[in-house]
Amino acid sequence: MRPLTDDETKVLFEKLAKYIGRNIVHLIDRPDEPYCFRLQKDRVYYVREDIMRKATAVGRRNLVALGVCFGKFTKTGKFRMHITALPYLAQYAKYKVWIKPNGEMPFLYGNHVVKAHIGRVTEDIPEHQGVIVYNMADVPLGFGVSARSTVDMRKVDPTGITVFHQADNGEYLREEDTLF
Amino acid sequence: MDVSGILEEHKGRFQPVQVERLIPVEHDLGCLASFDINMLDDAALRADAGVRETYLQGLSREGTQLLVNELFTLPTVVDEDSVYAALPKRSLVLPREKPVPKEKPMTRWEKFAKIKGIQKRKRGAMVFDEAQGEWRPRFGFKGVNNDGQQPWLLEVPQSADPYQDQYQVRREEKKERIEKNQRRHQRNAEESAGKDIGLTPHKMRKRDLQSALVLSKGSTASMGRFDAELKGEPRVKGLRKKRSPLVGAAGVEKSKSLEILGRVAKGDSSATVLNVRKAQRAINSSKRRDAAGGGAATGSKRKGSGKR
Repeated sequence: MRPLTDDETKVLFEKLAKYIGRNIVHLIDRPDEPYCFRLQKDRVYYVREDIMRKATAVGRRNLVALGVCFGKFTKTGKFRMHITALPYLAQYAKYKVWIKPNGEMPFLYGNHVVKAHIGRVTEDIPEHQGVIVYNMADVPLGFGVSARSTVDMRKVDPTGITVFHQADNGEYLREEDTLF
Repeated sequence: MDVSGILEEHKGRFQPVQVERLIPVEHDLGCLASFDINMLDDAALRADAGVRETYLQGLSREGTQLLVNELFTLPTVVDEDSVYAALPKRSLVLPREKPVPKEKPMTRWEKFAKIKGIQKRKRGAMVFDEAQGEWRPRFGFKGVNNDGQQPWLLEVPQSADPYQDQYQVRREEKKERIEKNQRRHQRNAEESAGKDIGLTPHKMRKRDLQSALVLSKGSTASMGRFDAELKGEPRVKGLRKKRSPLVGAAGVEKSKSLEILGRVAKGDSSATVLNVRKAQRAINSSKRRDAAGGGAATGSKRKGSGKR
């Protein structure tokens, strides 16, 4: 376990900013308790500081996980968000997409979101921006990247892809052995 | 009269001239050698020293006898007081001591000349100097192209500046030609050196640069521990970078994160590429210049981009 270097922090924030924009401030500067980001075996964890202090007693090899895993750094230095970060993303999301009940299952099985399944969309989503996917009962299901801006979404035919799938809650089952 | 007894006695005194061999012996008369590939008598070889010695001596005598027999079949040349046998050309090829020299890689010009079919023309080293009325070397010491042998009059070209020293121009042109040739020479040398290890000159330079970089990394007082990391920097073994502490002082990490966030949020990824302060200064200065007078339009345009 170690703190992120400046470069790593930058890459992480750039990725996070795609989903929650300036709201990253609320993750770093919390009124309740201090939180921090820590790197352990290429994975980035968002962890409360007192827990992190306790975890320093555990050796790098023995430490499996701590806090909430936000994602991992690939071998090429890019950052991949994991589904485990969803609660925080959903809390501060800038762009949201609500999908109808008939679209929930296809999305939770790892498919892209098609136009026909969309119930509601935030206004002014630009193209290729991170969006959080909710069902109509406002339960976050996962996140993805907008294939088109909100304006263009209206023009797409019903089977056209509007949100590219990135992660969904189904991964807790499907990728149980590699996710953690 | 029976002479068989005498013949027998005479025969007994000398070794036989005819030698029998199971496999015919090969000769290379050109180098006076014969090659006997018949099996040796194993028992004789393993016997005690005296027997072995006589066996080996007999063997070599027989071999020599065969060679001499063969020599006598050769055509002879009779001189005043002696007879020679003319030896044929030797057929045995001796392996060379040193490896065959490698073929030199072709220079760029040689490659080009080969494609174009340009033949090398022999040009005499000496040229007749009509002014002096004598033969002089084309170049080098006392050569015709030397600076000391300049023409006493030089035409000033129509387009040239009349106050320009044409002799100086000549000197500079020659210097440039020499330098250009040296650069080409260097390039050819680099290319041929890289060819042996299968690298292009560009790759070689890159490799050298990388190794120099690694060296310089470990050359600071702290052995590169506090150096800023470069983009695409090679990984150096044994070099430990200074990392931020695992558990820092309260608020330090937070303020650092906020600072990085500020950079990220301001202009996304381009935040680190564009130096805003510098760009601002460039724009301001160009504005000032525009206000002062014309002639700065192109310059200001270029500087306005403000990229580092």
